[in-house]
Amino acid sequence: MSAFNLFQRLSQAPTKPKAAPAARQFDVADLYQGPIALGAEGEEQARPFDEKLRQAYFWIVNHAIISPHYDIEYNDGPSQTYSVGDSRRTLNLPSAQSYSSFILLPLLTFATRRKCLFVGGPGRGKTASALLMGVLAGSTVKEVKRAMQHGHPQMTVADLLGNPLPADLVNAQSMDEIRIAWRAWLGMRVKIVDEYNRIPTRTQSALLTVMGDNYAEVLNHIYECPEAAWYLTANDDQGGGTYQVIEALRDRVDVTVQALAFNPRFLNELLLRVEENVRPEELVPPEIIFTEGEVDQIGVSIRQVGIPDAVRRRLEFFASQFELFETAGGQFEYMTKDTARLAGADRGAAQAADNGRDRLKDLGCQTLNGISVRTLMALLIYAKAMAYFRGNGEVELEDLRQVLPFVLHNKLQPDPDAPFFALPENAAYRSDRLGWLRRLFDLSNDEFNRLDLDRDDPVGVLSAEFDLGLDGVSERETLARLNRIEKLIGERTKGRKLYGPLYDDLLKLKYLHQRYTNYRSWLRSQ
Amino acid sequence: MISPAFASILASGRAQFNGRAAEARRRFPSLDMAAFGAFLHDGVDPLVVAVAAAAPERAGGVTLAAYDMALELVGHGLAGPAAKNPLLNSVWRELAPSFAPLLATAPVEVLGMLSNAAIHMASVAGARPAQWQRELAALAAQIATVAQLRAVGQVLAWRAGVAHFRLGALAAADTLPPALALAAFGEPAAHWPQVHAQLLANPWRGNAEGREFGSFSGLGGAFGTPPQVRATNDGFVVRSAERHYLLVADACGAVLHSATAQEFEQAPNGQPSSVRVDGASLHIGARSIVLDVPPGDIAIAANAHTVAITSPWTHAIRLLPLA
Repeated sequence: MSAFNLFQRLSQAPTKPKAAPAARQFDVADLYQGPIALGAEGEEQARPFDEKLRQAYFWIVNHAIISPHYDIEYNDGPSQTYSVGDSRRTLNLPSAQSYSSFILLPLLTFATRRKCLFVGGPGRGKTASALLMGVLAGSTVKEVKRAMQHGHPQMTVADLLGNPLPADLVNAQSMDEIRIAWRAWLGMRVKIVDEYNRIPTRTQSALLTVMGDNYAEVLNHIYECPEAAWYLTANDDQGGGTYQVIEALRDRVDVTVQALAFNPRFLNELLLRVEENVRPEELVPPEIIFTEGEVDQIGVSIRQVGIPDAVRRRLEFFASQFELFETAGGQFEYMTKDTARLAGADRGAAQAADNGRDRLKDLGCQTLNGISVRTLMALLIYAKAMAYFRGNGEVELEDLRQVLPFVLHNKLQPDPDAPFFALPENAAYRSDRLGWLRRLFDLSNDEFNRLDLDRDDPVGVLSAEFDLGLDGVSERETLARLNRIEKLIGERTKGRKLYGPLYDDLLKLKYLHQRYTNYRSWLRSQ
Repeated sequence: MISPAFASILASGRAQFNGRAAEARRRFPSLDMAAFGAFLHDGVDPLVVAVAAAAPERAGGVTLAAYDMALELVGHGLAGPAAKNPLLNSVWRELAPSFAPLLATAPVEVLGMLSNAAIHMASVAGARPAQWQRELAALAAQIATVAQLRAVGQVLAWRAGVAHFRLGALAAADTLPPALALAAFGEPAAHWPQVHAQLLANPWRGNAEGREFGSFSGLGGAFGTPPQVRATNDGFVVRSAERHYLLVADACGAVLHSATAQEFEQAPNGQPSSVRVDGASLHIGARSIVLDVPPGDIAIAANAHTVAITSPWTHAIRLLPLA
């Protein structure tokens, strides 16, 4: 065994150093800490799992997957920026620790046991990245490779889930007597489906059940799968696969990551692998392998990360922009894009009948759909995971901003006919969906700031008042609150165009009004 | 020319040694093979010779460990003719051979500990690494185990000026045989429990004069402007030119660590009643000390053991024992 490990080295320094605490503990053992690793003293101290997660990230990004694309940018103070090329695109040099989405998002998926889709051309490391996640979960490379499902046009449900045993098929008197030889991958903690857009539609439906409900069913037999992180790959997510991916399956994907091109400046890394005849996935350091219990614990810790009200409000405001479609419904509650979609209405005609809102300012005009509950939940969990990964106990707005494009990537469909995309400076957003989504969130935040909603949010005040509970609220107070709601609705609707956030505010006020009305009726019946 | 013993081991494993060097060059692209060769000659050869004399059958294993370690140290630029600090070279050349019997049994631990300690000592401003090396070499014959080497090294590091190791070093000394502990403190005739108790109670034991710390950064010192000082339990928080430090000082030395503005603001600003300044004289209880700074604007701060004196006319901090 060589003394030098070119690939298995982990940094001993904390990956995210924090300011030293005020109370100091000087350790005389520091005398012997240095570049030389001492075997006898080597018993490793228990590291916090967020640090272990960061160690895993940095090992992958530095030694396994060559992805020098730091597209998740954090800044700590001013950063250096340059305008480059004829298009004057900005090259930003972040002033704080920044990350490569292609590695980080799959890792957060691993930590939260969600579902990640890799998209991008062949040979860009999609499958290799998924493979590494399987190894991080403690499986050998061979096990992960054998358990990986490869989508192909002849894939049957039996190929995917398992076969009935032939002898039972002949001899069994009832379905219960037929035993099923379940596929091994169903029991894996990391499930990989390669090129899922090449799977026939019928088999996709069986996959949907496993992905959505975490069990497989063959001939009335049920296999309960363990909690797992899912990785799917596709060369093309826009319908260019062998089969169209069914919408429900696509909706189960929590986050989409794009594999970016290889930078030839890093060819020396490839040369080293050729010369040393090594595969990084076979050399994952044992220190960054996670046990099932550790991933459970990480999941608990991530869920405990707080989301401050101010950050949550920004997300509420952002999500409010997209569902309203005023001409789609006659009744207030049905003025949504989903109503129009369900009816198969002519979207162009409906838009033509729109009543002159500022279609550039209205972010809702840029999309064909709204944001689903599942997507919002995925946004929250990934924002928490990002904050946890960065060693923080609370989500910052920037955490949300960074994960949002990847979660909404194949959820929020852009409307290419929107006036926004017709502007020359926005032309690139037609193809750069991640950039567009980030821009969309920035525009939403600008509007949030313009409306001064951090300080002036009367609907929020009424909502907070209601959240205190109705116990002991007098009829007189109830009537006063009802009046305040009605007055606020009157103010908010007077001569104003209807935009998404206002629509949701009005629905919330209607809800509060209804609750107080019911409460008043109950009071009067006492 | 290297010794026949070392040359013979290198020749017998030529392919293996060359392979390791080639591998290390990939890991450290700036590894200077000429510098590595020089370090093999100056640093590795003497200890191989010493081990070959003490335990010939272990010379091969020790050489292998030393060779790998040398590659790593030269690769980091810490050893060899171009090393920024010559201490590591002299530790390998002069100190390590005196531990030949220990090297023969645990080469990685002994060489690793000595190397890391040398690098650490060289990095502590105000420490006296030459003293540490000299005193450790003097005790080499009495050190029988790796654990004893570890503890004696820690004690001597404190005594060589690494003041913040005081409590840890005292705890380490307690694990040593009393005779060795007393030898490490240079008091072979004393009674160890008594010495230990005195050292624990009084950080300035053996140094009634105190010490002066710091000077103008433009002349290689630590402070850009005359420092302001506040006392804490650990030492003194110092502010100078918008930078903040923690000064830990005792009879053996004084070491500056980084600190924050918040720590400075939170440190108490009061003066102890037993200490007062009168003109250019400092009065500690019944004692009077004439200070060598101009009178006026002299500031003092004191914790349980030490008083620190500063003046707008000097970049130095005067530290005096209270007892």
